[in-house]
Amino acid sequence: MAERREAGAALVLLGPASLMMLLMLVVPLGFLARDSLNRYDPTELMIAAVTPDNYMRFFADPFYWNVLVTTIRVSIIVTMVCLALGLPMAWRLARSTSRWKSALVVLTVLPLFIGSTTRTAGWMILFARGGMLDILSRDVLHAGTVNVMYSESAVIAGIIAIILPFTLLTLQSVFEGIDPRLEEAAASMGAAPSRAFWRIVFPLALPGVTIAAVLCFILCMNAFATPVLLGGPRFQMMAPLLFWAFSNDNNWPFAAAIAFILMGTTLGLTGLANLVIPRRYHTR
Amino acid sequence: MHERIRPLTSLLLPSRSDLTQPSITAVPCADGQIKSAHRAPAQLSRRTLLAGTTLLAAPAILSRRSQAAEPCVVGTWGGDYARLLRENIDDPILKPAGIDIVQDVGDEDPRISKMYAQKKLPHGTVDIACVGALKGYRVVEAGLIEELDETKVPNLKHIVPNLRMPGFVPHIYSAQVLVYNPENVKEPPQSLSDLLDPKWKDKIGVVSTAGSWLMLAASQVETGTTTDFDKAKAFMLKLNANGLRLYPQTDSLAPAFKSGEIDVSVIWLARSFMWQNGGFPVRGAFPKEGSVLYVSGMVLPKNAPDKDTAYKYMNALLEPSAQQGFAAHMGYWPTVDNAPLSGAVGEQLALPEHAPKLIAPDYASLSAALPDLNDWWLKNIQHG
Repeated sequence: MAERREAGAALVLLGPASLMMLLMLVVPLGFLARDSLNRYDPTELMIAAVTPDNYMRFFADPFYWNVLVTTIRVSIIVTMVCLALGLPMAWRLARSTSRWKSALVVLTVLPLFIGSTTRTAGWMILFARGGMLDILSRDVLHAGTVNVMYSESAVIAGIIAIILPFTLLTLQSVFEGIDPRLEEAAASMGAAPSRAFWRIVFPLALPGVTIAAVLCFILCMNAFATPVLLGGPRFQMMAPLLFWAFSNDNNWPFAAAIAFILMGTTLGLTGLANLVIPRRYHTR
Repeated sequence: MHERIRPLTSLLLPSRSDLTQPSITAVPCADGQIKSAHRAPAQLSRRTLLAGTTLLAAPAILSRRSQAAEPCVVGTWGGDYARLLRENIDDPILKPAGIDIVQDVGDEDPRISKMYAQKKLPHGTVDIACVGALKGYRVVEAGLIEELDETKVPNLKHIVPNLRMPGFVPHIYSAQVLVYNPENVKEPPQSLSDLLDPKWKDKIGVVSTAGSWLMLAASQVETGTTTDFDKAKAFMLKLNANGLRLYPQTDSLAPAFKSGEIDVSVIWLARSFMWQNGGFPVRGAFPKEGSVLYVSGMVLPKNAPDKDTAYKYMNALLEPSAQQGFAAHMGYWPTVDNAPLSGAVGEQLALPEHAPKLIAPDYASLSAALPDLNDWWLKNIQHG
């Protein structure tokens, strides 16, 4: 009886959100999946068919493979850097007893108040020829011209700046949930702070760290504005490629296939990350 | 005994007498005082009233055509273009004639996709769609566009002859020119082929999204026609090897010019006009082999809800005052022969003494080759 009540409550709580997801995400994805099997025609745009041609076109061409590999590479680098920067910051923030703690948390959230495109425009001013970095290098350090614009490094820096606050906030809440007395207990038994962190805190935080990494990775795989504005036309990632397929020829079937390949790759790699992490650390 | 047969609506709606009679009636009482009493409405319940009004309103709900004051919807680009449409067409010409305009602002491709998606509907969501001539050609070919009734657009007779295209009303146009920074360039290039000279290495910048238009220019310089894309590809590979710089949008060219990153570009004359007026004194040179034209205009979808108003809009579009307004602010030439430009604008947009060759693209061949050209450009120029 209690179980039935619990199931009923779960249905009430999950039902509306699930229904919304079904209508707003699953149904359009269903249409998109169908479109990806259609045939493209420059005049008619889309001719109804059931053909794997759009997927074959992607996988048979080394160019598109390269774009996928670049996207994965950039996403892994960004995820690693965000974790490397975010873990110590988040841990320190979580353990802080300073009266400035709230202000520090607000400071980490502050970048999210500015749209990602606006922030990217800021990076453009910094990176471009005649920009701040260039002036610093040329006129102050007399080290010659620096032009970071339209490079993979610029894209990585730009995406890190956008994603780091998300990683930081996720990790901070994870560390907040771990009792600090565990570290004190470890210290009382002679463990150095670093040892206490890696042997006690980190394993406990690992499920949360995985979630932060997955969030970071997914956001990066789907990055659009930063690769376009900071990477320039010679640098290709999947989301701009998808838009290219749609906007140049209105090639919806191929764009839909790219969307599913991107989604499948992201989900696949996320699932893989879950397998790599020892089972005992999985979120329960 | 026999009840009079009343019309169907009378079962659902109160008759005029029902409505004019007060629902509260004065009733004389035995004590001589007058009291009010509620009178039940004859043959009318709330349900029947609702059903009746719904039935009568249905045609109006289902069809926006039946609503007389429905505004004309113009699918357009945003920014300056949308503002200038309002300032030169909507407010001064159409509003005084009692026509309200609503702009459906967006990019060209989503607009076109919407037209395709709505093609089987009796009524689409826009009355007029702004498109470039190439995409205009495609939607006309796809059968989405109404054949123009020229009697309803009298200004069409003033259209410059080489801009005419069935189903498409050309609004503004410009020519592809060699734009250079006169501070750094003392001997400007005369032809696209001059840019292959190593002295321009790493100093040429173009907008990547204009790749197909550059291919037309490349074909023109190599063969004297705009349709030999094999020769155009070979030319573009050589230009790319000469340190061609690619930029994501037109606006990113201006800082590149200003910082000295590039000295030359191949772009529309109208853009150099806007930069000049913005205080950056670039100059444009017409290539001696001829300049490819970019034409932007409007089409009338077959399922446009209000075609009569759309025709009025198209005619207003071609009014000399509207055409001159666009030229003065955006630097595009008028597409009509009765809107001469004068003053500073006229000087800035004047053709050189030896009239350059202005080439309207062969849209049929470009449209057919476009998927291949775009794919080739992405893999060999952007990724090359």
